[in-house]
Amino acid sequence: MKIVVPFKSVPDPYAGAGEAAKSVINPFDEIAIEEALRIRERGEASEIVGVTIGPPAVDEQIRSALAMGVDRALRIDDARALDPYAIARILRALIEKETPQVVLMGKQAIDDDSNQVGQMLAGLLGWPQATFVSKIELIENKTRLQCSRETDGGIEVIAITLPAIVTTDLRLNEPRYVSLPGLMKARKKPIEVFTCEQLGVSVAPLTTTLSTSRPPKRSGGTRVESVEELMVKLKQEAKVL
Amino acid sequence: MMIALDVNSTTREVFGNIAPWMRVVFFVMIGASMGVLAWQVLAHFRQWRKGRPGGFEKDWRVWLQRLTVYALAQKRVHKKSLGALLHLLLFSGFLVLAIGTTLLGIAYDGPYYFHHGWYYLIYELTMDVFGVAFCLGCLLAMYRRAFQRPKSLGHNWRDWWLLSTLLGLGITGFAVEALRLHYTQVQPWMAHWSTVGWLIDTTMLRGIDVGTAKTMHLVTWWVHTIMVAGFFIAIPVSRFLHVITGPINIVARPERPMGQLVPLTMEEVEQTGRTGVHELVDFNQQQLLSLDACMECGRCEDACPAFASGKPLSPKAVVVDLRRLMSLGGGDVHATIRDETLWACTMCQACVQECPVLIGHVDLISDMRRDLIGEGKLSGPPAKALQQIGNQQNPYGRPNADRLAWAEGLDVPTVESNPNFEYLFWVGCAASFDPRAQKVARATAQLLKKAGVNFAVLGKEETCTGDPARRIGDEFLFQERAQANVETLGRRKVKKIVTPCPHCHNTLKNEYPQFGGQYEVQHHSALLAELIESGRLTNAADGSKDPITLHDPCYLARVNGEVDATRAVIGAAQDEQFREMPRCGKKTFCCGAGGGRMWFDEPPAERVSNLRAQEAVATGAQTLATACPFCLNMMSAGVADTAGGENVKVLDIAELLLSRQTSARTQTE
Amino acid sequence: MAETLVLIELDRQQVKRPSLHAIALARELGGEYALLILGSGLDEIAASLVAYGASAVVVADDPALAEPLADRYASVVADVARQRNVKTLLGTSSTFSKDILPRVAALLDAPMVTDVLALEKVDGANAYRRPINAGSMLATVKVDGDLRVLTARATAFEAPTADAAPPCPVESFKLDGAGLPDGMQFISREERISDRPDLTEARVVVSGGRPLKDPETFERLIGGLADALGGAVGATRAAVDAGMAPNDYQVGQTGKVVAPELYIAIGISGAIQHLAGIKDSRIIVAINKDPDAPIFQMATYGLVGDLHQIVPQLIEAIRQG
Repeated sequence: MKIVVPFKSVPDPYAGAGEAAKSVINPFDEIAIEEALRIRERGEASEIVGVTIGPPAVDEQIRSALAMGVDRALRIDDARALDPYAIARILRALIEKETPQVVLMGKQAIDDDSNQVGQMLAGLLGWPQATFVSKIELIENKTRLQCSRETDGGIEVIAITLPAIVTTDLRLNEPRYVSLPGLMKARKKPIEVFTCEQLGVSVAPLTTTLSTSRPPKRSGGTRVESVEELMVKLKQEAKVL
Repeated sequence: MMIALDVNSTTREVFGNIAPWMRVVFFVMIGASMGVLAWQVLAHFRQWRKGRPGGFEKDWRVWLQRLTVYALAQKRVHKKSLGALLHLLLFSGFLVLAIGTTLLGIAYDGPYYFHHGWYYLIYELTMDVFGVAFCLGCLLAMYRRAFQRPKSLGHNWRDWWLLSTLLGLGITGFAVEALRLHYTQVQPWMAHWSTVGWLIDTTMLRGIDVGTAKTMHLVTWWVHTIMVAGFFIAIPVSRFLHVITGPINIVARPERPMGQLVPLTMEEVEQTGRTGVHELVDFNQQQLLSLDACMECGRCEDACPAFASGKPLSPKAVVVDLRRLMSLGGGDVHATIRDETLWACTMCQACVQECPVLIGHVDLISDMRRDLIGEGKLSGPPAKALQQIGNQQNPYGRPNADRLAWAEGLDVPTVESNPNFEYLFWVGCAASFDPRAQKVARATAQLLKKAGVNFAVLGKEETCTGDPARRIGDEFLFQERAQANVETLGRRKVKKIVTPCPHCHNTLKNEYPQFGGQYEVQHHSALLAELIESGRLTNAADGSKDPITLHDPCYLARVNGEVDATRAVIGAAQDEQFREMPRCGKKTFCCGAGGGRMWFDEPPAERVSNLRAQEAVATGAQTLATACPFCLNMMSAGVADTAGGENVKVLDIAELLLSRQTSARTQTE
Repeated sequence: MAETLVLIELDRQQVKRPSLHAIALARELGGEYALLILGSGLDEIAASLVAYGASAVVVADDPALAEPLADRYASVVADVARQRNVKTLLGTSSTFSKDILPRVAALLDAPMVTDVLALEKVDGANAYRRPINAGSMLATVKVDGDLRVLTARATAFEAPTADAAPPCPVESFKLDGAGLPDGMQFISREERISDRPDLTEARVVVSGGRPLKDPETFERLIGGLADALGGAVGATRAAVDAGMAPNDYQVGQTGKVVAPELYIAIGISGAIQHLAGIKDSRIIVAINKDPDAPIFQMATYGLVGDLHQIVPQLIEAIRQG
């Protein structure tokens, strides 16, 4: 069985303000990679293909994925600011070429928090989907997946027929740590590079970010004397009530 | 009173009752059993040679010193316990009897005959005294096994078999002596020197005629001889192997500071394709030898905080399991030792400190952890801490730009504002970012200012020393930090460093020299004690009569030997209310945060900190002083979880000292 | 006239109240809007929705829709949108709409914007403000094309009032249940006992520490305050260890990492392990009786005092608005 894991490069969420933020694999996608590795380690998958879209700079995150244990890595060379729907269309072309049984990916990227690509990809391919998944089991002779989903109302269990798309939630697993020697070894593995033209897709983003701003900043360490004063601060200064 | 001694008649017969053909059989038998022993030891030696070459101490002066201290004087064995006493009896008895028997052999066969006269008399008496010691040791060992049954010792039918053989050797030895005295009809004045034999003869052998005695002697002598041969064969397959391997390991173990791990180079990794130990033969030869030096006494296990708190780690079991793997021809160490076992270690070095034959348990564990890291076997919070050391240069994942947040309002000099500082105040990540530990940094800075010390901090140029990375097993992340920090410290021309963190202290002092960083490193306790000594600070108590105790941080007390300065800072000697915990000073007990455990989650029942907090609370102290930001964190949580500990204040020694300064200038906090 | 279709979420055969908040955005967008519900046996529910000022309540009622399976639901929602020539398809941010609507967007070949906080006009055209980077930044996004899919953050829009007269018609959408996709199968649901939001996604988190003493007090004070604020409940490791709160409430280094708009720490001294899990929260309020507790260094607002007196007052003050 083949698993494709699309992943995104995002700025390190723990970098401090004003620092040149290093890029990392989107944490939810890292969980997807980890899960694919665990499925392979259980002997239920034979090949894991990592896919990302971006300029050559994202090769560093591809190395991390290879160091974690992904078998092959592909980069679709596109430096544009793409929106989720454009990404989903590019991935569709790639999935049709790779023909995996399972596509595992993060439920959302922690930079734009859109939470769309997996579901859109499933819609485009007409494949079943299991989103926000915290547990995965292959059942019925590896023809179906049983997934626990983290929904607002509680845990929901569904079974989906393969091929299918699964998006991962935080609780699915804790990704393994990749050390420097692991990264060094991964340097020797090849990265296949494609362009959208080679895949035969032509997409343009339909959404555009016009501007960004910071929400009202947290003022540090004010002592209040009473519940009344706290309520006033929360309403008028912090505007959270 | 001196009596004229006839040298020629003051002696005994050797092999007098043994026919020449029997003597031949005897020598063949003893020779063969010693051959078996040698062959077995050689087989062990071949196993050791499969390891990575080297790892041995090369300085012969260290060999001699160690042989004297650890092998002959048995420094690590002594303590107030039955086990230590019986070992002393067995060890001294065995040593003297072995030397005595060898001397007899030399006298019998050698070119010079000296087994007569005063030498002979003293020889007999000495052999008897130590023979008694030996038998008593055996009996005590049997009593201990039968009734005390210490768990950490381990119990097995072979132990009884071995002890019975040893006791049998002693008893038959005395019986042979008594029967010889009887049938040779030695003059009583001479027989008295063979005291035990004479006592047996006069009490039990009365009325037996010479012929019968001779026959009995012959039979007993053969039993004794067969037992000796059996014993030689038993040595390599029993705990007794340590009489050979123990001294070898004591000599071979490389000399280096307890708190220093061995660096790994990228070249080695590229050659072997491995970081650390995956297969047994990835250990070095000395490490493999050390496995065979273990006699399973269990002292390491008794001292181990991970074991005491119910985690799946016993340092002894690690050694014994690896040894079993070695006897089976080697293989994957992780098939024998579980990952959780390796992660459970706090690297407090208590096992290493206890081991009588100088086994380096922490090095064994560290080497196997390095492989786990290389194989991607770590996940969860500790993995995140490592990631953050890599990305933000501190395990808390806080922006390094916030390094000086703790110093707000204190006007702390930095290397930029005060480039001609004498002391670099190395704050450490915990005291920089943990709000509780920040108070320690504040207190220390205020004390240094009050005492007029010319110091500076690195501010945002300071990063993690890499200690947690190295202990968890990510050697190259550690080296990345070490090289960067050595560069910074060099650029800022740092010569003297003072730090409130024992882990930074240990790494800066013992490990940075591996990367070319040589500094005079002091823990803040040492500098503060000096400042008190010279009158620049006072530790006079403020009149409060609260009982107080001190938790010694492992990496300060055990690993770096500093136990006096902490006590001096809090004025322990002058304080009637100061109470020591049962485990204190260099024999302190871990708080549970070492070895990277700070970043592991533990169920409440398995927390080392709770065990230690119970010990502290039991002293009745209302203040628990410590000298490490991690201990501070762990002990604060520990006492809050302990019945009767809710009101115990946990404070760093610097905070305590600051509260005792009376000047208005430092009373602002 | 451009029509907007608002997908309303059901939970145990009842309208999930927050999903009505999207109606406020529909009204802001202007023009007519219809409401859409999917499920099985929906007559009563449909009747409860007729007074929200919609042009119609569209009902897709079929046993095949008894459970919200994304492939079926998306297929039906897309068909309704096509049939009605909808320009904007709208839902309220929830795991339900985030599961289904992106799939619908793909079926409709339309772009999508998630978690809309506000509608803005940029050069006369609609643009949408939404949080990015876990709420630490706000982005203004414009959308090209005629058709778009949006989800609105319930907390950013007022609950609509049901006062429109006359009531709108209920329209039944004809569908062939047997012809729907069947690659997904519902197996079971483990209901969450409380209606509180998920810790990692809640806008408000109220956490308690060891001084809460017992599970009853913990639930009364921490749970009570969380409910008054519509927030989630968290706990320190000490509180979890002491059995006051279940394991999955634990916030911190070894528990959950949260980044809500408002984090209220009650009886929490602020061990570094706990602070590691809350440092990205926008506003932190600390209530503790120890004025030296480290949490105050991290808190936006600190109130020193006895939590047993303060928290009930705070609940009361919030209830009164």
